[in-house]
Amino acid sequence: MTLPIRRRYFIEQVCMICGFVYDEAKGIPDQGIVAGTTWESLPDDWICPLCGAPKSDFKLQAETNQVVKPITVNGTEEENLTELSNAQMSALCSNLAKGCEKQYLAEEAELFLQLADYYRQKAGVVKEKDFDALLVKMNENLEQEYPEANQNANVKPDRGALRALVWSEKVTRMLNSILVRYEKEKNSMLENTNIYVCEICGFIYIGDNPPEICPVCKVPNKKMTKVERG
Amino acid sequence: MHAVRNIDHCTKDCLCLYVCPTGASDTETGQVDASKCIGCGACANACPSHAIVMVPEEYPTQQEKTVPVANSMKRLADSKTMQECIAAGIAEETDAPITRQLATAVAKSNRIMAEDILREAGYMLPQSKEAGSFLNEILDTKDPAFPKEAVEKLLKLLNHKEESKSGKEVNKMEK
Repeated sequence: MTLPIRRRYFIEQVCMICGFVYDEAKGIPDQGIVAGTTWESLPDDWICPLCGAPKSDFKLQAETNQVVKPITVNGTEEENLTELSNAQMSALCSNLAKGCEKQYLAEEAELFLQLADYYRQKAGVVKEKDFDALLVKMNENLEQEYPEANQNANVKPDRGALRALVWSEKVTRMLNSILVRYEKEKNSMLENTNIYVCEICGFIYIGDNPPEICPVCKVPNKKMTKVERG
Repeated sequence: MHAVRNIDHCTKDCLCLYVCPTGASDTETGQVDASKCIGCGACANACPSHAIVMVPEEYPTQQEKTVPVANSMKRLADSKTMQECIAAGIAEETDAPITRQLATAVAKSNRIMAEDILREAGYMLPQSKEAGSFLNEILDTKDPAFPKEAVEKLLKLLNHKEESKSGKEVNKMEK
């Protein structure tokens, strides 16, 4: 007979996507998880009640303050990167269109969208790739680009850049989990549910109804758009 | 400063009509008439649904980005836009509706991330000098399909100076 895992103390596990804390001492009585339920005894397919992240995206509370291992950035003077791909140019223009919209500059926004469309057409799509190709890129992002960007943005703290990095890193982690799960479960994972994308930060939520606020950027859910099937 | 109304928030209490000294808020379109608005802020203060805000004519200069920060952000944006194109490719090629739906969502998510990352690479304000140099740089694009007129209009509307390739400012009146 196997005995349930017992510890003499309770731990807290923190969702790395949305910050939800699972406190063993309290459990989640609303979900029928009684106080004292250990993290290990939650089922493997248990997901974060706020954002839908899997257990693997949780970290022990005590570990969340760990100092990130510094990476070596080469010391030579860097030159400003000026060459942008067509796809980047497109995103740059659609970003500036959003900037115009926020200032109620409708005509300017429309013109920037024209440019964004032009560059989007030129960029085209990348063919004959699968979700694995995306997972490779996301892992590179999480292991290389994000730590490096965070380090650079912390030298002379750049609040705006740090904010954008926090959001998109969380969104990337979530996307990563979703695609890993999709590779395993295939269409059964999505057959009877909806997909929502947050218009502000890009967070993808899988579920019948979107949460009240976006778990990552906290915008009210009227900014979370359903992606239709078809 | 001038007043603008976000019609989504407006609950038609119409206090702006009552407090505006010039009648700028009395329009058929629901927008504040910029030519009549004197920027006093009375409507914004009176609006119970916070549908009217005061927008500055000139924004303060953007926060400076250091070269390493700007470069890191651009590298990330490069990867995100590449992922957008891969996801868009998956959506285009697949016959399975669910795969297409997921790939479309992934493409959209990556686009939104790339936009936000580029914004923080130094392109937050359309009026910034960074946005101005960008527009000037693409102005000479040699491609018949390129919407050159849009770039010219934007330079004018956003008060950017047109520059020749050498970086010298060209006086628009002389052209």
